[in-house]
This record gives sequence, C-alpha cells and structure tokens, in this order.
Amino acid sequence: MYEVRFHGRGGQGARMAAEALADAAFLEGNYAMAFPFFGAERRGAPVVAFTRVDKQKIRIRTQIYEPDYVVVLDDKLVDLINITEGLKKGGMAIINSAKKPEDIDLGKKVSTATIDATGISLDVLGVPITNSAILGAFAKATGLLDIDSIKKGIVDMFSMRMDKKLAEKNARAAAIAYDKTIVGTCKAQRTFEKRKMWLPTYKEMPLGLATPPMKTEAGLVGPGSFIENKTGSWRTFKPILDHEKCIMCLFCWFYCPEGCIERVGNTTLKINYDYCKGCGICANECPKNAIEMVRE
Amino acid sequence: MKRVITGNYAAAYGAYLTRVDFVAAYPITPQTLIVEHISEFVNDGLLDAEYMRVESEHSAMSACVAASATGARTYTATASQGLALMHEVLFIPPVLHLPIVMPVVNRTVAAPIGIWCEQNDTMPQRDTGWLQVYCEDNQEVVDMVIQSCMIGEHKKVLLPSMVMLDAFILSHTVEPVDFPEIEEVDKFLPKYKPEHAYLDPKRPMVLGSFTPPEYIQEARYQTEESMNNARKVITDVTKEFGKTFGRDYGGLIEKYRCEDAEVILITTGTVTSTARLVVDQYRDKGKKVGLIKLRFFRPFPLQEIKELGEQVEAVGVYDRSMSFGTAGPTYIETRYALYGYSIPILNFLAGLGGRDVTIKDISFMFDRLLEAKKGKIKNEIVWIGTRGVEP
Repeated sequence: MYEVRFHGRGGQGARMAAEALADAAFLEGNYAMAFPFFGAERRGAPVVAFTRVDKQKIRIRTQIYEPDYVVVLDDKLVDLINITEGLKKGGMAIINSAKKPEDIDLGKKVSTATIDATGISLDVLGVPITNSAILGAFAKATGLLDIDSIKKGIVDMFSMRMDKKLAEKNARAAAIAYDKTIVGTCKAQRTFEKRKMWLPTYKEMPLGLATPPMKTEAGLVGPGSFIENKTGSWRTFKPILDHEKCIMCLFCWFYCPEGCIERVGNTTLKINYDYCKGCGICANECPKNAIEMVRE
Repeated sequence: MKRVITGNYAAAYGAYLTRVDFVAAYPITPQTLIVEHISEFVNDGLLDAEYMRVESEHSAMSACVAASATGARTYTATASQGLALMHEVLFIPPVLHLPIVMPVVNRTVAAPIGIWCEQNDTMPQRDTGWLQVYCEDNQEVVDMVIQSCMIGEHKKVLLPSMVMLDAFILSHTVEPVDFPEIEEVDKFLPKYKPEHAYLDPKRPMVLGSFTPPEYIQEARYQTEESMNNARKVITDVTKEFGKTFGRDYGGLIEKYRCEDAEVILITTGTVTSTARLVVDQYRDKGKKVGLIKLRFFRPFPLQEIKELGEQVEAVGVYDRSMSFGTAGPTYIETRYALYGYSIPILNFLAGLGGRDVTIKDISFMFDRLLEAKKGKIKNEIVWIGTRGVEP
C-alpha cells in the first residue's frame, strides 16, 4: 500500500487531484480511496486531501499520518507548513514550483520533484488551477502509474463536475507536466517549528466553549485572534487599484467579503494586503476597471 | 460496472437504480451532493421522478409522507440539524406504514457547531419507528438503498428506512463501487404496489386522522409487530441479495472472526472497517478477539447479541454518541440484550465530533476487554482520548 497527502488551498482542486489519482490507480487494477480533510472550507485556505492505493480492498479508514508521498499544489505553502511532516523514510515530495529541486528548502533532505504546474495550467487552461498538471509530475517522479492512466483518471473524475472538453484539456496539462518534471533532492537549511495547538483539558476549556479573548500556547483565540492570523498569504492574485480611474463609487468597498478595502477620508481607498485573499470580487465589480488582478 | 465514487454518489445512484418516483430535496452539508446528483439524474432524463425542492427538512419529510401515501416510491436524504428539524414528522410514516427510504449522513448536531461525523443525529431518532442500518463502505450504501426498498415495502413490514453513512469518511470519500445494472435491480426489486393505504379518489380512505385513545395503542402495536417482522425479512432479503448480486451482508449483524473469540467488540459505521485490521493484528498475536458489525440498530438484533452471552467472556461496545446521564445508545441496548449474563460489558466513547478513531484507539479497546476478561475493570464507561478524563 502507498499513501499520498496533497497540500493545496481551497479552490486549487487538491481533492479532485486526490480523486483522479485514486481513479487512475483503480484503472490499473488496484483498490484505491481518496478523501479530503475538511477544515473550515474557504477559498484560499490551506487544505489537505489524501489517496490510498493497495492491491487488495482497503479497510483502514483513519486519516493518513505517515504518507509515502506528499504533493504540494502551491509552492508558497512550503514556507508556511512543514510539508514533510510524517513523511516516511525514503518518501518523496512533488512540488508545484518553477524552481529546481535543489533550490527548494523543505527543512529536511528528501527526494523531491518539481514542476511549474502553475505555468502549464495558465498556458493550457488559462487559470492557475494546478491539480491536473501536478498529477503528471506525480506519475513521472514516482513511476507508480502510467501517464495514460492518469489522463483517463482526470477525464473520469473531472468530467463529473465540468464539461468533458475541459476535463480533456486538464489531461493534456498532465501530459505536458509529465515531460517537464525534474527529479532531484531538496536542500535542508531551515528548521520548522512544530505547529503548536491549543489542547486544553475539559476543565481548562471555557464552559460551553464560550471563548473570551485569550492567549494560549498556540496564540490568540476568541475575538480578535485574527490579529495573528493574517490571510494575505492565501493570495495567488493581488488586486492593484488605479487611483486615477477610481471614481469612489465604493462598489469594491461594499462587495469585499473580508472588509479589506479601507476608506481613507472621502477621497481615496486603500487595500489591506495583510488580509486580502485575492478573490477578485472587487476587480469584477468595479464599473471603471480600476482594479487589476496581478499574479503574486 | 465498477466505478470510483463517493458515498454520496452511491446513495444518489441507489435512487436511480430503484427508480424512485418522488424525491424531496433540501441540501445540508455533508449530504448536499446526494440531492445534487439526483437533480442531475432527473435533468439528464436518467431518472423519471418528481423532484421537489422544498423550503426545509420539515417540509421535505411532510412532502415525502404525502407522496408515499399516493403509492409512490419515495426518497429523501438529510443529515444532522436537518434530521433534527424533521423530528416531528418522522413519527408519521412508521404508523401510516409508508416505506420511505432516506439516506442520512451522520454528522454532529450543534452545539458546538461542526460538520464532521457523530451519530448524535440518528441515535435520538431511534424511538420514531424507522428501520436504521449503518453502513461500513460505499458499496454497502448503494446496496442498502436497494435492500431498504425491498425490506420496507415488504407486506409484513411497511416501514420507512434510514440508511446511514459517516460524514466525510464515506460521504466524501471515493472508492470503487460495483453498481449493478438497473435491469438486474428491476428483476430483483418488484414495483411498489401499496395495498393498505394510498390516496386514490376512486377508492377514498381516511389517513392520519384525529384518533382517540381507543385506537392508538393498537396502532402502536402494529408498528411494533412490523418492526419484529422486519428481523426475518431483513435476513431473507440480505440472503436473496447475496444470491443475486454476490454480496451477502449477513442479516442484522455480521460476525468477523468470532468463531472462538473470548472477547468481542461491537461497532457501527466505518469504525468497523478499521477494527477489522486491529482484529487481524491481535489474532496474529494469538489473542482471541472478534468483532460484531452491528448493521441494524432498528430493529435491534436482540437475539443475535444475546447468543454472544453464551460464548464470550467480555463484550465491548463502541459508541459515536452519548445519551447524557446514562451511556452510549448502543451500549444501553447491548446491556439490555445481555441481561442475565454476568460478563463484563464496557462502553467505549471515541470519535465524537468527527475526531479520528485510530488503530491505537481501537487497540486500546481490545486491551481493556482482555483485562476485563481477567476481572480487571477500571471504568465501565470509557471516554477515549478525552483530555482531562481518565479512560
């Protein structure tokens, strides 16, 4: 049996990648399962999904704690999360990055494959959704599956949720990625601190979880805890406001779901990049096209 | 035809395979995809059903009662708060004897609000008169939607069914499922032809009218008799299904490596699947442990559980919900079934709110049972992995 953990962000399709991999493995005669870990579902928030593959029926239904492979759909996650956590000895990381494996620092020397899946996705699909391209890299780097199975798996799974032509385009992205994948070893120059969690006993926990602003070993909880939890790192695209074109209609200010457009007096606006997740609603709503979404 | 699909898809595909006539749809995480998939089946002309979008789960069940009373094969699906909101209406179909089929994705009921797996949505509905079956994998989900029609529509039963699948662990997990061809299902499952109650202007009847005490007690007994009749019907239908489709689930319970077991653990839902591995590991070490997969919670397999009292030296019961002030619901009923046997019976509470139930947790349960067999009992009600609580 081998187990795979996918790291992505809500909306990047980590879950569909996990499912397409399971389908591809099934097409090659294996038993396979894939499942997401659901946190609070928000576009842009870090998410994980899992795939298990075995020759026989899989009985274990726990989460995966010690994967054989980790797949990273967004290379910015590499700086935020210790993605090799729990990775089995001899395991491998497959990362969406324009860098070479030896230029990536995972805090631990492991076999690493890289692919510019974002670039390929923008070329082939016109959107930076990397879940299909990364699977091509997975097939190449691990040698576990035939690229044709991956392509079929993508078409099977993706066409359940989208137009079949678009699913086939995704399969093409995987095939391109397969040819361009670089395999090597990452560097290990930094260390990751173990992520702290607030785990109170039932007696320490506020009664009924009615939580006032509190400082815990894992940071702030309760009202105001967002002071520490900056969501700006979730962005792929950044809104840039052209003050010349802006007519102060305040549509962006109304529509921003995160309250990240700030009014500076009555004459100008400022975007709060500490919390802006780059959803693009402001640019979409602006009647004067004064906001442009620029890739980070 | 084998396909890699989610538990939600399996539940929806069951509606197609059984050619349901009526679907009441109201979405709730993690059930939403069930009614979404069915809407696609109806839109694509695959399923010829009346698809009614309702304004709440209370309305969904009300619509199902009316639809089923016209003689339609009736289906809906829900989870958690949705089932709680249905509660009032859930009492009606078991007494009117309307065999509605309803997959329920087991999700924790607020507060605190969560979306993950707990059985505190369906367990509190145990006294409403619905059949309840808890599934272990996605294959069982589709198979039990088919079988629930067959069991529920049986003349001696005529009761509604809840088919349970664990939130995310099944609902959002893809795995291979062998779908039977619809023509095979047509041959296996006859069309639903109600004789007792249906709304037809040519044959007027009164349904669900105001009823004085002179009649209600007998109506209650009718439901009880149906529930008791269901035991044999379930066993027969699982056998027949096994013969036709090659998958025999063994009736109300399934025994796993129980032949010479000294201690056994009773589980429901997906924990059963992982527990099979733990049993294998303990058997490899020469420990005589076994597993009972409790499939049906209603009717409760009283006789099957009672027989264990003759054989084993300690029984453990896993619960994914708590009846506050007593114990887990499965434990309470197991003790009732085992009345008269002086063997240790332990209750294990774990995985509440969707916390992962790991191999370590299940091993802990078996270790406690092996200790209990030797007379060492630390606690009868064991809260596993609850911070600040001695298990």
